[in-house]
Amino acid sequence: MIITNNNTVYEKYKNDYNINFINGGFKDVLITTRDKIHEGYELLTHPLSSSIKPNETPYKSIIISDNKGNINYNSLIIIENSIIAYDKFNNMKVYNNYSEKIIEDFKLIDLTVLESALNT
Amino acid sequence: MKLELGYVFIKDIQFAEVSKVENGTLYVSKEEVRKIILEDQNFISAEVELAKPGESIRIMPVKDVIEPRVKVDGPGGIFPGMVNKVETVGSGKTNVLKGAAVVTTGKIVGFQEGIIDMTGTGSEYTPFSKLNNLVLVCEPKEGLKQHEHEKALRFAGYKVALYLGELARSLTPDETETFETLSVTEGIKAYPELPRVAYVLMLQSQGLMHDTYVYGVDAKQSLTTMLYPTEIMDGAIVSGNCVSACDKNTTYHHLNNPVVHDLFAEHGKTLNFVGVIITNENVYLADKERSSNWSAKLAEFLGLDGVLISQEGFGNPDTDLIMNCKKIETKGIKTVIITDEYAGRDGSSQSLADADASADAVVTGGNANQVIELPALDKVIGYSKVADIIAGGFDGSLHADGSITAELQVITGATNEMGFNKLSAR
Repeated sequence: MIITNNNTVYEKYKNDYNINFINGGFKDVLITTRDKIHEGYELLTHPLSSSIKPNETPYKSIIISDNKGNINYNSLIIIENSIIAYDKFNNMKVYNNYSEKIIEDFKLIDLTVLESALNT
Repeated sequence: MKLELGYVFIKDIQFAEVSKVENGTLYVSKEEVRKIILEDQNFISAEVELAKPGESIRIMPVKDVIEPRVKVDGPGGIFPGMVNKVETVGSGKTNVLKGAAVVTTGKIVGFQEGIIDMTGTGSEYTPFSKLNNLVLVCEPKEGLKQHEHEKALRFAGYKVALYLGELARSLTPDETETFETLSVTEGIKAYPELPRVAYVLMLQSQGLMHDTYVYGVDAKQSLTTMLYPTEIMDGAIVSGNCVSACDKNTTYHHLNNPVVHDLFAEHGKTLNFVGVIITNENVYLADKERSSNWSAKLAEFLGLDGVLISQEGFGNPDTDLIMNCKKIETKGIKTVIITDEYAGRDGSSQSLADADASADAVVTGGNANQVIELPALDKVIGYSKVADIIAGGFDGSLHADGSITAELQVITGATNEMGFNKLSAR
């Protein structure tokens, strides 16, 4: 299952994968992922994929398992650490008045980083 | 495997009719260089500029920095599998234009990366301010896709660096240095008392503008493997990583890897430098598990006593770093990890996104969130208006007078995680 707030990812893969589209920000994707992990889903990609900082890009796509089991503590530790890292960056002021071109570039980078996982 | 590096010291760079090296000056034909860049029809124009130490010049946004080298003896050529044939390199003789570099700049995507200041506060944070730089500003054709633009710019850098390196082919180096790695059995016989130490070099491998290539192979598609350290000096590893300027490893960093250099300096004295284990930093968590399993397995297989581990980039590589550290320590092998920190602007936040008690020996390249002031400089090469939307910049970063307030992460190489830094703290 892909959890994403990137509509480029949604449009490209909606027919191929189970997608949980989040109409929200980076943090909302992290929180939804955390909640799913609490339900027993396993984290499959790292939530802080890409070196673009979480206070720069508004977009994030994360893959979790399609099936749930017992709670996976490794998944839990990684998502909690990622939320801490997100909050740390979000407390620091950044530029956020992006042009449409830059928004599209952030979506593209998120897509290619996700695809680097889908294709392995 | 044995390699002799011949250093031709470059103290100045100038434009001239004919490219040549004479009395420590690198003369460059602007026209020849432009011709090489424009061989690629993805570019419609190319500017070539000089930036020397101490000049009031800001270069931005920087994509890669490359040292000109030429293979003068032995198999293969520099950048095997990329520009030259995929021959195993790392033996024979290689000449280096030491003190010179090719710097590529460009706006591949809208948000930007990387400043090199040749003077002032910023220059103290980047090693590239001390080099005689040939800066390439390449204008892509309309509609060129980001993937193709990134690749074209990367290859323009390699080709120009090889063109300059070729000027050193028949020169007598000012200084030479020899590096040799014995086979495993020879090494044990030669240094029976010395601890066996290897270097785990982690390579960024996550997609567009986050990639590294080994003999032309995208590192994300490779299992963890081994290299002789001298292969790296001949360009076996090149950078396609344009993101996170302060802690990305440029091609220059790979060619001059300071961990390799310092391990060689102690080789046969305090330790036996066995070799380099290269491993990737993929997005998929199962890939991280597999790659770190292999790092630990190879470390055990080589009978190591100690390992140095360097990472590249921000965030999820912290997880690879800790996995490598933990699994290698579990084999009874001591580790030292090299990283940088995102500890908040006041330095009080958690530095890494992952941690483990076994990571008890850490070298840091500095806090990338630290805020610095960069003065206005007389000339900007590249694109000056991107300072607000540069990684580590923020709304209002670029002031009306041209000065910049931003985090240290805007500066190329500032917190390099190989430890290729100029500043230290006591």
